[in-house]
Amino acid sequence: MSSFRLQIVTPDGSVFDGEAEALRLRTTEGYVSIRAHHADYIAALEIGTVSVTRSGETKNAACGGGFLSVSKGEVQLVATTFEYAENIDVARAENAKKRAEERLAAAQEAKDIEIATAKLSRALNRLSVAGK
Amino acid sequence: MSGASMKQIKTRIRSVESTRQITKAMELVATSKLRKAKQRAEATRPYHEVLAKAISSLQAGAADAPTVYAAQREVKRTCYVVIAGDRGLAGGYNANLFRMVKSMTQGQDYCVLPVGKKSMEQFQRIGAEIVSAYFGVTGTVGVSDCAQMAKLLCDGFAEGKYDRVVVAYTRFQSMLSQVPVTEELLPLRLTEVKTNAGALVEGSAEALIAKIVPQYVSGILFAALCEASASEHGARRTAMNSANKNASEIIDTLVLHYNRARQAVITQEITEIVSGAEAL
Repeated sequence: MSSFRLQIVTPDGSVFDGEAEALRLRTTEGYVSIRAHHADYIAALEIGTVSVTRSGETKNAACGGGFLSVSKGEVQLVATTFEYAENIDVARAENAKKRAEERLAAAQEAKDIEIATAKLSRALNRLSVAGK
Repeated sequence: MSGASMKQIKTRIRSVESTRQITKAMELVATSKLRKAKQRAEATRPYHEVLAKAISSLQAGAADAPTVYAAQREVKRTCYVVIAGDRGLAGGYNANLFRMVKSMTQGQDYCVLPVGKKSMEQFQRIGAEIVSAYFGVTGTVGVSDCAQMAKLLCDGFAEGKYDRVVVAYTRFQSMLSQVPVTEELLPLRLTEVKTNAGALVEGSAEALIAKIVPQYVSGILFAALCEASASEHGARRTAMNSANKNASEIIDTLVLHYNRARQAVITQEITEIVSGAEAL
């Protein structure tokens, strides 16, 4: 299968910079898969799973939002957080989930609810990617 | 008299020595923290670059969708994000930044989003309007706080609470030189129109921009924060290094005085003994 140049960056550094065959991710409108020779494209990402296929091997990662840009066949994924399944700290995610649930239960204002919901969905996403 | 002054000098030497011990420890701590901060600042650089590249292609892709974030309005009110340290004893690190902000804000209508304890204290003292006091401690501000800050700033800008957002921080140029700088965050500068003007956009362009711009702002804020913390440790290291040198110098002169005083006492004693012997 033909491949394309993929760059994945987060504020903590570059996570991936090399050739990949497929990239599957969740945009605001739903899941899309990017293959080689994709048209120029821009999309915002939701919290969700990102799958990177390289040499026929697919790896899953938890992505906490960001955006995707395809330009002249090069793909750039700018993620706020990006962790491969094996790197996810399950205990921390469990804790975060618990705290978010407590905060959600106690939240009164719309703003607090929004923040707690976002925290909860990030934690749940991490747990589901880690397969726990 | 000499005996008393010898004791005094000894006490002073001891006190300066303990001060030097502290400044030396602080220098070592600052050096190791600086190394970490520099690594972090370097790690964010690719993110920053890709983000800047992507935002310009976004601008081109959505050129026909006018966005509130790019609107150049008449500037009535500016919001300054001032990133300073939590602690003093870092030479002119905080003071230089505040001086620059002060000269920029002169005669302007402005509000401040202080980041860091010193920044918070400074703007409370001069009675500036503070947008949010939530980010008062730099040490604990992370990526998610930057995202919150960015959301706050973008919302405020979109609502017209201020017409310009500027971030003021200290750029890390080298170990010895840290320069206070400002960077304009909003409105976005739509400069070049790239070739991929016909890029496909998932969903509506406005929704996309509404999502991406806060991320862009948050990315810049985080990068600025990393730079600022590297600068702070760099400035502290330099300050502590010169404090060390000063302390050593003071100790040297004090030791000289002490020896002189000691010699004077001995000489006096000998003279007394000799004259005593002569009298016999």
